[in-house]
Amino acid sequence: MAAMREWVIRLWQTVRGRRADGDLEEELRSHLAMAAEDARRRSASPEVAVRAARIGAGGVSQTMEALRDQRGLPWLADLARDLRFGCRMLARNPGFTFVAVVSLAIGIGANCAVFSFADALLLRPLTVPRPAEVVTVGSTTSLDKSLSASYRDYIDVRDRSTSFDGLVASTESSVAFAIDPGTPPRPRIGMLVSSDFFPIMGVAPDLGRAFRPDEDQVPGRDAVVMLGHELWAQEFGADRSVLGRRVRLNGIEFTVIGVAPAGVAVLDRFTRYEFYAPLMMWARLRTDLRVRPFEARDFRQLEVKGRLRSGVTIAQAHTELSVIARDLARAYPDTNRDQRIVVRTELQERFAEAPANVLLIAMLALLAAAVLFVACANVAGLLASRAPMRAREIALRLAIGAGRRRVVRQLITESLLIAVMGGALGLGVGYAGVTLFRQFRIPTELPIAVSFELDRRALTANLVVALVSAVLFGLAPALRATRADLTAVMKATDAAGFGRRRRWGRALLVGGQVAVAVVLLAVSTFVYRDFQGRLAGGPGFRTDHRLMMTFNPSLVQYSDAQAQQFFAQVAERARLVPGVKSATLTSFVPIDGGARPVTIVPEGFQFQAGNESATLYSATVDEHYFETLGQSILHGRGFHATDASGSPRVAVVNEQVAQHYWPGQNPLGKRFRLTDHSGPWVEIVGLAKTSPYFFLIESPFEFVYFPYGQRPQQRMALVAESIGDPSSLVAPLSEMVRRLDANQPIYNIRTLDEMYRMRVVTILNVVVSLVGAMGLMGLALAIVGLYGLVAYAASRRTREIGIRLAIGAGRSDVVRMVLRQGVVLALGGLGAGLLVSLAADRALATVFPGGGGGHGRIDLVAFVLVTSVVLAVTLLAAYVPARRASRINPTEALRCE
Amino acid sequence: MSNRETARADILQGTLDLMVLHTLDTLGPLHGYAIAARLEQVSGGAHRLNMGTLYPGLMRLEQRGFVRAKWGVTDSNRKARFYTITAAGRRQLATEKAEWDRTAAIMQTLLRESR
Repeated sequence: MAAMREWVIRLWQTVRGRRADGDLEEELRSHLAMAAEDARRRSASPEVAVRAARIGAGGVSQTMEALRDQRGLPWLADLARDLRFGCRMLARNPGFTFVAVVSLAIGIGANCAVFSFADALLLRPLTVPRPAEVVTVGSTTSLDKSLSASYRDYIDVRDRSTSFDGLVASTESSVAFAIDPGTPPRPRIGMLVSSDFFPIMGVAPDLGRAFRPDEDQVPGRDAVVMLGHELWAQEFGADRSVLGRRVRLNGIEFTVIGVAPAGVAVLDRFTRYEFYAPLMMWARLRTDLRVRPFEARDFRQLEVKGRLRSGVTIAQAHTELSVIARDLARAYPDTNRDQRIVVRTELQERFAEAPANVLLIAMLALLAAAVLFVACANVAGLLASRAPMRAREIALRLAIGAGRRRVVRQLITESLLIAVMGGALGLGVGYAGVTLFRQFRIPTELPIAVSFELDRRALTANLVVALVSAVLFGLAPALRATRADLTAVMKATDAAGFGRRRRWGRALLVGGQVAVAVVLLAVSTFVYRDFQGRLAGGPGFRTDHRLMMTFNPSLVQYSDAQAQQFFAQVAERARLVPGVKSATLTSFVPIDGGARPVTIVPEGFQFQAGNESATLYSATVDEHYFETLGQSILHGRGFHATDASGSPRVAVVNEQVAQHYWPGQNPLGKRFRLTDHSGPWVEIVGLAKTSPYFFLIESPFEFVYFPYGQRPQQRMALVAESIGDPSSLVAPLSEMVRRLDANQPIYNIRTLDEMYRMRVVTILNVVVSLVGAMGLMGLALAIVGLYGLVAYAASRRTREIGIRLAIGAGRSDVVRMVLRQGVVLALGGLGAGLLVSLAADRALATVFPGGGGGHGRIDLVAFVLVTSVVLAVTLLAAYVPARRASRINPTEALRCE
Repeated sequence: MSNRETARADILQGTLDLMVLHTLDTLGPLHGYAIAARLEQVSGGAHRLNMGTLYPGLMRLEQRGFVRAKWGVTDSNRKARFYTITAAGRRQLATEKAEWDRTAAIMQTLLRESR
């Protein structure tokens, strides 16, 4: 306690409020005076006694030194002195400071931007207390690598496991939401949650209460709802008397019991759920009555999360879950055979959910790290070229007794100062990045958004990167500077200690810089050309002159028959609207989404052991789909109006399916069973071209189309082809639907152009801008490095050049001589960089599958482009200082020094 | 500072703190010279404190809150800084005394044994 108090006081006294030196000295003088007085009084020979007393008491100045050390914190005072000195040094060399700080700002800023990107997409923790404890439990499917569970399995796991402090289940639910029976319902997205969801996640409602355990007992009984904060503010003006009001979800009356806190993304980073209802309302809110979510063990639609009990490791939880899964597989072989139940941390689950994002982020992080390396190499090079100038200063300090550690500390302080300034400026670069990312908008009316922030986490990351870079560029030069041979340095007139090794080190640094810049530039050129090619190639369907709108009549209590009639009328009347060229109903719009998994058993295909069926994505489309979207049927036919419920079942598959299950054969006429070995036969009547289904850049998917007449869906989109501007169809088509049913919610009204732009073009543009910016930054920094090195080497050789000129060398000889080093470095770096780029090209094919980069084809144009740009620019960077060196006036060069 | 030096300083510090606190506790407020003189007197002149040891020690005690200091005037009408022991200082003194007694007892037993 007392020791801590001492340190606090010393800290305080360092910063301010210290006892003045004068005060201390006065006390010592008074001590001496009293000692002298005493001595005089006691002794026969006062003079001798006084001297002895003085000697015994010790010297004032030594004591003062000890007191000063005790008074404050000497190292802190040293730091302040170092900082002051460092600032003076930086101010005295504004050119050096500017280049160093700007270099670092670019390097640190690029990392800061990439961090905020990664944070928004992947890293930011859940906004619940102690988010690190939260884990996800469930099993994976062949299509979806994220974890899910059925209700039955959830109950068994919850009741039998002991590794968790509670397991909660939730599932997303889209409903038609109306604040009273009179108003037309609007689509809203919410979560159905088990009753212990809020207490276990540690989130308390802002108003009212969360769910009670008894509201989680009986299916369909307790129609209570918690509103999301944003919905509450929007629809009820944040009225606190909202509790007890009745609202309608899919036409069912719910009582409002609470309001969730604002800005809490409880279990999803991207969605701000608009309401929460008990999981027991699941069956009633679901509009598809064919599945029974509380009974079907293979209806795996729940997300199960929990908190790991303290002291339990994830491996232990894993073991326990394996045992439970084995028991379940034995008890329910039909549904649970081969079902492994696993547990993942939040981060593992996010990685599994979006492996493409992980790859993209890893690539960006690598590029940003490369930019930082080039920037640090720059600053290290600058410091190295200042080393001889400072060598004498440092030698002097060491000679008059400064400790080596003390001098290193001072040099490191200067490095930190540069790094912190670079970091501060880098925030600007980071902010530019965040502004760029904010162009990302997910096209939906639902409250789903990725929020890119330059928040405290990004600031911390920024600072860490700055400190790391300071060590990277500052430590080696500082250590080397203090290792010099003092006498040599003090005696020498010039550049002592600037030996061969050091020059080699710096040349390697610059060569490496050029190499890394080449890789950065090559990667950004590959990515740019690849994306351009893909965008030019188009998505495989027409986006121009197309308008889409989505309906889900089951949300407003349509029966299946009513819904089919409604859709038939919508499609029929849409074609009659003036300006409509063709129209189709489809459950799936490419890129926008709506694909459903379907399980099939292809005839004659030998599955590997343990598998008996294949799960792939499917769409339900009507007979106008391929024509309206401009997609081609390669063989056979599309659908006809006669492919109805009574006629033989048919399907169209894409090339991937044909190649996989009937390699080298004509797929037309081949058959597969739906669902399992006893399912109905479906005959393949058409072969469709494989095209992008979810994103422009993806590995080709297996995909199958079914006719609407044989596999109706509840949620369908109308896509209309317009003769003129597609947006001019919004009003007449909406009016047409309103006349059919005024209460029918319409969502996602947008042109396919707009949808495609938001879902694909913007994202690709942002990635290209980011990658391109990093490529250019890398090149710019490498140029500065090369220029600096050549200019520096030339300046060290001023005398030599002067002599050469004086004894008759031509200016061009001098240029060639100085240029040679730069050219060798540039060529070496270029060669090494191109080699690495070849490997990078391979790696890019993993990040952006299915495109031009990689696949054994080498983008020669990109290589030629990068090579010529780098050559031209580096030669210029070396030529400018070489030319300047050749302009030296020999007389002056020889006279100086 | 090497480790050995630190260790030696620590031993001195420990005894110095004890001596100063005890002196202030028994004699009341004193200035630095009076403390030094008193210690010299008690030790029969063997223990002569120089300022470089005494004053940093006093400052540390002050920083730890064991003593308080105020400028005042001596009997001989000279300005001096007077140190007073605080309540925390008294508690510290009691602990250190007990500690010292124990150490001394152990040392005594040990030395007698080896004889």
